[in-house]
Amino acid sequence: MHEPDPPTLDESALADVSASVADDAEFLADLVRTYLADGPTHLAAIADAVAADDAEALVRPAHTLKSSSATVGAMRISARARHIEMAARTGTIDEATRNDAGQLVDDWNATTEALEGWMAR
Amino acid sequence: MSTGVALVVDDSRVNRLVLARQLETLGLEVMEVENGLEALELLRARPADVDMVLLDVIMPELDGYATLEAMKSDETIRHIPVIIVSGVEELESVVRCIELGATDYLVKPIEPSILRARINASLASKRLHDLEAEYLARQTSLNETIERQKTELARFLSPQIAQLISSSDGEGLLAGHRRQITAVFCDLRGLTSFAEQAEPEELVAVLGEYHTMIGEAIIEHAGTLEHFAGDGVMTFFNDPVPQPDHVERGVRMSLAIRDRFQPLTDGWRKRGYELGLGIGIAVGYATLGRIGFEGRYDYGAIGNVVILASRLSSQAAANQILLSQRAQAMVEGLVEVESVGELSLKGFSRPVPASNVLAVR
Repeated sequence: MHEPDPPTLDESALADVSASVADDAEFLADLVRTYLADGPTHLAAIADAVAADDAEALVRPAHTLKSSSATVGAMRISARARHIEMAARTGTIDEATRNDAGQLVDDWNATTEALEGWMAR
Repeated sequence: MSTGVALVVDDSRVNRLVLARQLETLGLEVMEVENGLEALELLRARPADVDMVLLDVIMPELDGYATLEAMKSDETIRHIPVIIVSGVEELESVVRCIELGATDYLVKPIEPSILRARINASLASKRLHDLEAEYLARQTSLNETIERQKTELARFLSPQIAQLISSSDGEGLLAGHRRQITAVFCDLRGLTSFAEQAEPEELVAVLGEYHTMIGEAIIEHAGTLEHFAGDGVMTFFNDPVPQPDHVERGVRMSLAIRDRFQPLTDGWRKRGYELGLGIGIAVGYATLGRIGFEGRYDYGAIGNVVILASRLSSQAAANQILLSQRAQAMVEGLVEVESVGELSLKGFSRPVPASNVLAVR
């Protein structure tokens, strides 16, 4: 990635969501749990598409991961998913994209840790 | 606070959760589906239950564009406002969606105050549309009622009178006016004794045949039927629609009625009834307009001309068409007549000259 790395978790995004739902803490916790439950599905779909060298099949899971990650403030993985989505839209999966996809698992683990830490507070 | 039902269409469960809860926080009821196909299915099944659609663009099965296109080409759901929900990098797709008929757009992450403004604008436009649709439906049903009333009216009244009542200048004519008319009176000879012998059904059937025949002749000659009274039928010409040839029309109609009466009497004679037809025609000024009382008005003609036509009709022998002197003068040269001399008529102090119409030249 060429830009400075975004933070793993931008808590201000979660604070914004919280403000828009009348600070319903239970809802926020539900939302984060849903995000953590759904994430592996997107990661698996991305890994499958890269393994199959199928750029078209890569677009949507990357897009969904980018979008839902941004919603909960998981900015680093969102940015990486965005790179993958953009690259996949060109129709080919290049080396940089493979590297990005490989990095996703580490990002995911860091994101999970950060979100669980946030929930524990 | 807003009220209404929003349908959230997004394949990401996380995004759906957030948007749904934000909308609920604003006071809306929310339904959620995962893709365009499910959205179309729901909208088509319950088109009246959804006030707006919040549509993600990139989705499996059916994406935002295709969903929008399908909605806009479906008469039953095209009016439902669609707000596109997109990421910041997808502004180009927003343009395409607006071109496809989307009402508005929101960029993720969604700013609550912008969400509220967009939602309220869409709800207002939806409400306007619903009001319009309701107004149209009411207008349509009102028009149907009026049409039905006109049709019914035309069955009870002369077509001219029915038309007059429905027209904007009708009120003036209904209020009363004076005009020269030709009055034509028809009635049957031998009906009283027939009525005493015949079964009621038979009497009604015979009168029905007679009225049908006369009714057709009145319509053909554009006469105004004033009333039926048993066998007596009073028709006039030159009102409410002016007819410069009103006397001629009256004469021609009378001849048509006499011609068509013959086959009817033949049929009746076989069943044992002897009935004859007498017709009286007079010309003169009458006062025309709405007569009667609140609850039951008729469009009527009042004047000597009406009485004269009625008396001539009573005086006529079977198959005679008696023409008043004045009427005869007005169709002189057009109609072949024979004089019947001067008649003493009830209510007329002096004898009245009249002639019998033989044919039209």
